[in-house]
Amino acid sequence: MLIWEAVYRIGFWPPYLFPSPWEVVKALFWGFQDRTFLLGTLVSVRRILIGYTVSLLFGVTLGLLVGRFKTLDETVGSLMTGLQVLPSICWLPLAILWFGLSEQAIQFVVIMGAFLSIAIATDSGIKNIPPLYIRAAETMGVKGIKLYIRVILPAALPSIATGMKLGWSFAWRSLMAGELLFVSIGLGHLLQVGRELNDMPQVMAVMLLIVSVGLLFDRLLFARFEKRLRQLWGVAA
Amino acid sequence: MSKNFMQLSIEGLSKDFDTPHGKVLALDNISIQINSGEFVCFVGPSGCGKTTLLNMIAGLERPTRGQIKKNGVPVTTPGIDRVVIFQESALFPWLNVIQNVEFGLVGRLEARKRKEIARALLHLVHLGRFEKAYVHQLSGGMKSRVAIARALALNPSVLLMDEPFAALDAQTRDLLHEEIQEIWAKSNQTVIFITHNVREAVRLGSRVFVFTARPGQIKKEFQIDLPRPRDINSQEVVVYAQQIQQELKEEIEKFLKEEVDREWTLKKADFLRPAGVDLGSGI
Repeated sequence: MLIWEAVYRIGFWPPYLFPSPWEVVKALFWGFQDRTFLLGTLVSVRRILIGYTVSLLFGVTLGLLVGRFKTLDETVGSLMTGLQVLPSICWLPLAILWFGLSEQAIQFVVIMGAFLSIAIATDSGIKNIPPLYIRAAETMGVKGIKLYIRVILPAALPSIATGMKLGWSFAWRSLMAGELLFVSIGLGHLLQVGRELNDMPQVMAVMLLIVSVGLLFDRLLFARFEKRLRQLWGVAA
Repeated sequence: MSKNFMQLSIEGLSKDFDTPHGKVLALDNISIQINSGEFVCFVGPSGCGKTTLLNMIAGLERPTRGQIKKNGVPVTTPGIDRVVIFQESALFPWLNVIQNVEFGLVGRLEARKRKEIARALLHLVHLGRFEKAYVHQLSGGMKSRVAIARALALNPSVLLMDEPFAALDAQTRDLLHEEIQEIWAKSNQTVIFITHNVREAVRLGSRVFVFTARPGQIKKEFQIDLPRPRDINSQEVVVYAQQIQQELKEEIEKFLKEEVDREWTLKKADFLRPAGVDLGSGI
């Protein structure tokens, strides 16, 4: 912050391109004052919660199936890796043609961004389970679907958690990218409005907001969960 | 069922493995009869297929030829009458100690009954205070104990142990030997115990089978007629162990020639003389 302020004071860049931290804080304040920021945040958060939940369900299910069935692995498995390379925002044109300028289109982009990484992580988690766990369970008479629920899923949990975390940040990024290119109320849209009005403090304030919301959820949802897993698996003290 | 009922009968068992270099014969024509309530040990060089044999008895692997019968019925799948205790304890890190012990009972008994059995077993293996602990908080010896309790929870008629104490230090291992002997003496369980440690085999087993290097065959069977409890350092145990070691030595040499180096031979170390022969004369 101090460096930021100092750089601002030097005046190397004009203030309308490089506002002071104070300006940004003011923009944040006014943004919340007239409810636009609050509304934008809520809309974006609602979108990501829906999109992410769907991605999680799809991703884990697909990952489990691909990890289990060899034919699926050989067909869908390589497709998953292939599609993962495609930046999710590239789905937007397709989504708009399919769903029109609608909520579904943007959800589609979010899901395409997140669920593949969750599926890939789940799949690799299942493939990396020590065979010993499965043998131990089998010798204790656990098999079939019970083996999945009681051993394979929990044993793959560390890897699934990594996928979930990755998936979360992918989902958030895809959502922001989608909102930027798409007329709607979310945070990405506010960013775009800031650009259009040449309002640099607002642009920066919204960027800050995007980072904060992403981080906040990361902390709330994953940090503790991950720590606990690391503890159980004996990686961290 | 009489105590000397032929419980496990292994008949002409062979196992091939497919490798990139073609088929490899891992086990060759093994036949063993095991009575109910026996404590049988398998010793042999690494890769002789003793673990494979154990897995086949457990039903985790299928033989290529021959068959295994338990009480006259062919073994084809895993079953809770034959529980394996693995080398690395194979406890589940996402469950705490008592949940691990209960694992095999879930769905078979109601929760209260399960807890009761698990608690009793944890007391039996002296871990009563650790039921809420997680696996990462346990020492190697404690993990082995939990694994034993977990297997016993299902009250299997055959307990299959695959080098369960290999990774433990000598003191812990000695303690666990005592405990496993006690538990075995109290129960009517048949135990099949795999080990590299010849003295461990003599201390625990009523019979010890020495396996040849790959392909694994039974080289010799030793009947250990010693009273229990046995001391691992007692003269009788050491004498038996020496005899078995002698048999094993040739096989280990074969194994090393194959795995390490064809030129390898087991030389007598000049600097180590048999103490019994010329004790002190070399000074």
